[in-house]
Amino acid sequence: MKLAYSTSVDQLKKQGVNKVNVLGVDRIAMLIQEAVKKSLRFRLLALDREEVASATKEEFLRLLKSNEDLEKQHDELKSLKDQAEAQIDELRLELSKQQSRLEEKLASAASAERFEGEDRDIAERITQLIRGLTESGKTEEVPSRVLEFVMSIVGDERRATREAREAVRDKEVAVLQRRIEKLSASLEQTEHRLSEVTAIKHLDQGISSVYRKVQGLDLEDRAYEAKTALMSSIFEANVRLQGK
Amino acid sequence: MTDNANDPGVGQGESSAEDASAPQVTESGTGPVKDHGVLYIGLDLGTSRTSVSSSNGVRECIFSVVGYPKDHVAQKLLNRDVLVGKEAVEKRLSLDFYRPLQHGVLRNGDPKSSKAAADLIRAAIDLARPRKDELIYCVIGAPAQASINNKEAIIEAARESVDSVMLCSEPFSVAYGLDMLEDVLVIDIGAGTVDLCRMHGTMPEDADQITLQIAGDAVDLELTRLITETCPGAQFTVQMVKDIKERHSFLGDTMERVTVNLPVDGKPTQFDLTDQIQASCSIIVDPIVEGLHQLVSSFDPEFQDKLRSRVLLAGGGSQIRGLDTAIEHRMVQHLGGGKVIRVEEPIYGGSNGALKIAHDMPTKFWEDLR
Repeated sequence: MKLAYSTSVDQLKKQGVNKVNVLGVDRIAMLIQEAVKKSLRFRLLALDREEVASATKEEFLRLLKSNEDLEKQHDELKSLKDQAEAQIDELRLELSKQQSRLEEKLASAASAERFEGEDRDIAERITQLIRGLTESGKTEEVPSRVLEFVMSIVGDERRATREAREAVRDKEVAVLQRRIEKLSASLEQTEHRLSEVTAIKHLDQGISSVYRKVQGLDLEDRAYEAKTALMSSIFEANVRLQGK
Repeated sequence: MTDNANDPGVGQGESSAEDASAPQVTESGTGPVKDHGVLYIGLDLGTSRTSVSSSNGVRECIFSVVGYPKDHVAQKLLNRDVLVGKEAVEKRLSLDFYRPLQHGVLRNGDPKSSKAAADLIRAAIDLARPRKDELIYCVIGAPAQASINNKEAIIEAARESVDSVMLCSEPFSVAYGLDMLEDVLVIDIGAGTVDLCRMHGTMPEDADQITLQIAGDAVDLELTRLITETCPGAQFTVQMVKDIKERHSFLGDTMERVTVNLPVDGKPTQFDLTDQIQASCSIIVDPIVEGLHQLVSSFDPEFQDKLRSRVLLAGGGSQIRGLDTAIEHRMVQHLGGGKVIRVEEPIYGGSNGALKIAHDMPTKFWEDLR
């Protein structure tokens, strides 16, 4: 049975309630005490009534206090949850910014602008070379000089590519070396753990018996007498065998 | 199980069982103080398998085989001086391989076999995972007709690992474990021997026990012979034959044929071994029934009928499908009928019974044998 529920002022207004009466804790406690007194009036002696009423009040206040503590804890937890959610929002925002920056960098690195600039530069230099040779009347040298120029550009590009590849390779080697170092460290740790586990194995204390004391035949055993005689026979045979 | 040590009368009327049965400081000086509790161990030392039941709830079973590295290379590789059980079987090519028990008893005269037996018993007791601070009292089920020398060797081997040890007859321990102490015939089928034991409320004497040499190993040999004869070119080992038998053994009618892959010139080839398996398993039936006949006919005529109607089938060999029915059919011809009952746990029947004996043994007896 639900005796209390939460509501808001707006909801009450919607229901047509404009005015509410508020009861204080002291007043509620007093009402309960009075109710208990009334119900016990004709059943117990006066002294008992007082004791029961007093104990009831005490218990009610304790429960009330406990409820307040729980509400306080609830509020604290809610506050912590809000803080955590705010932090998550901040982190998400930061992550989104970082991703945008990364995308920008990748886009700029891959852009064709660089190549367009280089192409324009090469075209301009070839034009200048042909113009210079034509003006100086060395038109027959144009093909060979252009070829020589193009080959020098190709050579430069090849060298740049080789250097880039070597750089990448060096980087990969460095990464691999770091990985190897990490693996070595990990291996060392694992070996250390293994030696610890092995040591623990040696320290295995075994499994305890269910008995703390030496047992013997149960007196309630329906074949107690027969079994006692059998135990004696086994014992005697073993005394003979073991020369005790 | 009952922890009845607090009962004043436990331990054959000891006046103060609580004091008398409390674990004592067993060893002075360097030895551990054994004041934590009492571990009872029941051990069934078999030719093929050794099973262990203990009062800490451990139940284990190992192959009764021991191996020692053949040379330094093997020793380095295996990183062990002794291998026991399944591990020894798996690494047998790198090992000097021993089955310390033959026909149910320790091999005499071979010092290596004696050492192997000691190592096997030690390994079996270690399987129970005893605590160092607990008293260990062990009952070992020994073959019914093991020699005195054999029994002494078993006791010596066990003494290294336990505080006090006793031997008892294997079939007796099976019957004791099931509380069937009167008018019962126990058939304990092992690899090396089949032990028959007549229980009549007292400790069985020599006349109450018969040991037959035709047992699980004999079935393996017969199956090996039949496969050799009928499956030309098939390559196999004793271990393979043993595996086939343990997986497919049966007697009587069967609905499905038993087909097994065996290599022929390196190529797996399918063989139908139904008839061979049935024929090889059948070789143990007649000797068992003859033994039963001998034990029944020499018993008090008034109780022979009871004895016939309570034949207990135990041991690893009792797992042959249809064996109980086959024995019953043959008993009709030789003994005019009979009832064969399989034990629920054939592998652990002996060790469970030995554990129960250990539990029921009075404190004083254990103390006297320490």
